[in-house]
Amino acid sequence: MRIIRIVKRRVHALLHRSSADAELQREIEIHIQQLTNEAIAGGMTDAEARSMAVREFGPVSQIKEECRETRRVSWIQDLAQDVHYGIRMLRESPGFTAVGVLTLALGIGANTAIYSIVDAVLLRAFPYSDPSQLVLMFNVPVKRPDALSSISYRDFTECRSHNTVFSEMAGNAFHDLTLTGAGEPSIVNTADVTPEIFSLLNAQPLAGRTLLPEDGKPGAAAVAVLSENLWRSRFGSNPNLIGQSIALDMRSFTVVGILPASFRYPDGAPRQDVWISVMQDPLFGPLTSKPGVRLLGVIGRLKPGVSLANAQAEMDAMGARFAQTYSAEDAGVTIRVRPYREAVVGNLKPALMILLSAVGLVLLMACANVANLLLAQATSRGREIAVRIALGASRARIIRQLLTENALLAFLGGVAGVLLATWAVQGLQRFLPAEVAQIGSVHVGGPVLAFALLLCCTAALTFGLAPALIATSSNLQTTIKEGSERAGRRGGQHLRSFLAVTEISIAMVLLVAGGLLIRSFALVTAVNPGFDASSATRAEVSLPRFQYSSPRQWTAFSNELLSRLHAQPGFGDSALAAPLPMDRQGQASFAFSIVGDPPLPPGKSTTADYQTVSPDYFRVMRIPLLRGRFFSEQDSPSNPDVAIISETLARRYFPNQDAIGRQMRFGFPPDSNVQRQIVGVVGDVRDVALSQQPGPMMYVPFAQAPLYGGEVVVRSPLNASSVAAAIRHEVNAIDKALPVTDIESFPDALGQSISRERFRTFLLGSFGAIALVLAAVGIFGVISYSASQRTNEIGIRMAVGAQRRDVLHLILGQGARLALLGMGIGVVLAILVTRWIASLLYTISATDPLTFGAVAVILLGVAVTACYIPARRAMRVDPMVALRHQ
Amino acid sequence: MPKPSDLLQGTLDLLILKTIARKPLHGWGIAKRIQILSGETLSVGQGSLYPALHRLENQGWICAEWEESDLGRSAKVYSLTREGRKQLERELKSWDRLSSAVHLLIQNA
Repeated sequence: MRIIRIVKRRVHALLHRSSADAELQREIEIHIQQLTNEAIAGGMTDAEARSMAVREFGPVSQIKEECRETRRVSWIQDLAQDVHYGIRMLRESPGFTAVGVLTLALGIGANTAIYSIVDAVLLRAFPYSDPSQLVLMFNVPVKRPDALSSISYRDFTECRSHNTVFSEMAGNAFHDLTLTGAGEPSIVNTADVTPEIFSLLNAQPLAGRTLLPEDGKPGAAAVAVLSENLWRSRFGSNPNLIGQSIALDMRSFTVVGILPASFRYPDGAPRQDVWISVMQDPLFGPLTSKPGVRLLGVIGRLKPGVSLANAQAEMDAMGARFAQTYSAEDAGVTIRVRPYREAVVGNLKPALMILLSAVGLVLLMACANVANLLLAQATSRGREIAVRIALGASRARIIRQLLTENALLAFLGGVAGVLLATWAVQGLQRFLPAEVAQIGSVHVGGPVLAFALLLCCTAALTFGLAPALIATSSNLQTTIKEGSERAGRRGGQHLRSFLAVTEISIAMVLLVAGGLLIRSFALVTAVNPGFDASSATRAEVSLPRFQYSSPRQWTAFSNELLSRLHAQPGFGDSALAAPLPMDRQGQASFAFSIVGDPPLPPGKSTTADYQTVSPDYFRVMRIPLLRGRFFSEQDSPSNPDVAIISETLARRYFPNQDAIGRQMRFGFPPDSNVQRQIVGVVGDVRDVALSQQPGPMMYVPFAQAPLYGGEVVVRSPLNASSVAAAIRHEVNAIDKALPVTDIESFPDALGQSISRERFRTFLLGSFGAIALVLAAVGIFGVISYSASQRTNEIGIRMAVGAQRRDVLHLILGQGARLALLGMGIGVVLAILVTRWIASLLYTISATDPLTFGAVAVILLGVAVTACYIPARRAMRVDPMVALRHQ
Repeated sequence: MPKPSDLLQGTLDLLILKTIARKPLHGWGIAKRIQILSGETLSVGQGSLYPALHRLENQGWICAEWEESDLGRSAKVYSLTREGRKQLERELKSWDRLSSAVHLLIQNA
């Protein structure tokens, strides 16, 4: 009953506000009239009686305001009024609004952009059922648990049948096969799996079926599952494709099913076309019977209730058992279990957290800047606020109104920021490191927008509350008497200086972090990779193993290709290697032993990166010969096997002795035990990435260790696309069914190898630049406001003989003091903070004095320049005008 | 301006409820009545009666109608609602408790 009445009244009050106000007015008027009548009856004149009555009644407008506030709906009306009023205020000072919105847009936009990456990489759920149960398993040396490697087929099957902690386990491996028939030959990205992977990941086919356990048995019919993309693009969505056969590396497979485009494993893998049983793969199938070949990535699903620690304990026990039973392959090796998410995104997390903190600091600076603007504005609005308080508005009411204005500003900033972020995210796509692009698409979606909204609200409160409190706290009478400018000056000036100092110290931290990365990146890009990448183009050709089955065919193909490339007009030298440095698939690394050295203790092995190269390779790549000789045409299968080693290998494993003439054993599996004589030592090469120190390497002549394809490198002054066209033309002239892939200029490949470094350097560098701008705007605002407040003082100083230069020094000195204080705090913070990025730095320390010095000079320069404009203005003050001021 | 303290405000609510419990009254009448009963205590700032009236009305303890009155024109006349009557009883009880407690304290001090 009572509730209904209350609600009815409040709705009524909301809808009929003006009539409620009129009633209130009438009610009060009646009361005052009665008081007046009484006074007249007591013998006063009309006018006396009236003023007496008003006095007795009390402050009318204040009482009215209190009455209005008892209607609880008033906040809705107030809000509408505040918004209306706020829009008017923002429109009245377009300069203030523009600077405020822009500053916030920078802060919110940068945060939203980075958050969209965090959302894509760290927060978005994986598209598998119960992803928290998924784990990946790796073989690791007992001594080095971080050196993850794949697991052999035998160990996988043993582990799968004997474990008690996984409800299912599956293996997978990837490589390219050549799909022929039905149009141009093409390379298809093939996933070699054990059939359990589909039930483990709960993958439902679009049509037909996925692989069944029988398909994984030796001797089963060769069947393939195609991706929806391949089915649509290559086979025109042919509904009758299931049951037909396709040729992969010239082996026939029967299509049994189509998987929807949404299915990927791992999640966000760039492109997957075909799934087949690993047993039937033309290349990997035979390797499943070799327990020394660690072939499979292994995924498992934990049984409900089994913890990661339980699983790891059982795998430790199993690893120890394997090490005993299969000591030939598994001695010194154990099995490590890692949660799927951690394994996929683990190495990106720290860098993203650093970026997120940095960009959070940028937002903090933006808020400080807007707070500064608001403080200056609130001070000049002091009189207006004082009058409103005098008229009966409560302090809370005014704070609410000021906060509404701030929220409007934050909202505008947020909208602009989201637009900025959308644009920035599009621009960033190019810079995204390969792993990020693989994990998921980065875009400004629902969760990101929610985050931006949260930022807006937080920002509005952060930058708005203090100025609102200060604006409403000033003494009423002083404010009205002294006029606008003095109000809140004491508290405000301190707060403003504090904000400016804070901004400069944050800017210092961000600039140092950005500076360190930029310097480190410059060092990385300037590093000598050990070969000459300029004007070189690379391309990959791989030969179908069914058609090109013998090593002699491989050699013949490479000789034919190289002689054709050599005859190509406009082409310089060319060579062939497998793999070339900076191959995206990674480098091949094999164990080796030195003939004549004592055998290594069990569990220890020596490894080096392996390349098989054509005789001209070192000359074409301009890798220097240090001792001995290069390969020549004489190093053929009929002559003794030879090898060339890198400087690091020679230094590390042949200390104080000449390696030339010594014998080593190593090779590409399954020929991993070939004895070769060392004939040369060449310079070190960074083969994995520019930022990685070169390791030991061993080279063999392609003619003695041929592979089914390889990568060619061509030196040519022609542009990359005509080089690419010519290479393609020559390859197809030999065999028109051969695809050429991964054509790229060598400098681009070098750049690609440091894409992660480039990404974070670019971002932290940008944050530093934004911080510098914000700090400049911040200190400019503080100094110009304070200079305008000191006009009077400056006038007096000049009247008693101060020179213009003295005034300039006075103002600049004030700015420089703030800047130096901020920088001092900033340096301390930077030293504390930069050790978090120490691991990202290349050869320089986290407290690199050169970077700190350069940043300090730049920041001081910018701060003083920002103060110079108000200082010049102050210098031009006319003493007479200034003294009359106020 | 003298603002009613919290104690005074609570007391004012009680006085208003008590006053219109006898018969419905307009604001002027309530003010007069309280003035007579309290002996001039509330004579200054009669306006502060109105926020209290509006608050009580918004809380549903009292309701108001514009009707012809003894002032020679229509006025807003306040009367107690059924819930307001219960509220008055509660407030009287708590007032009794408070005043007897204060009384005890003063006697034993």
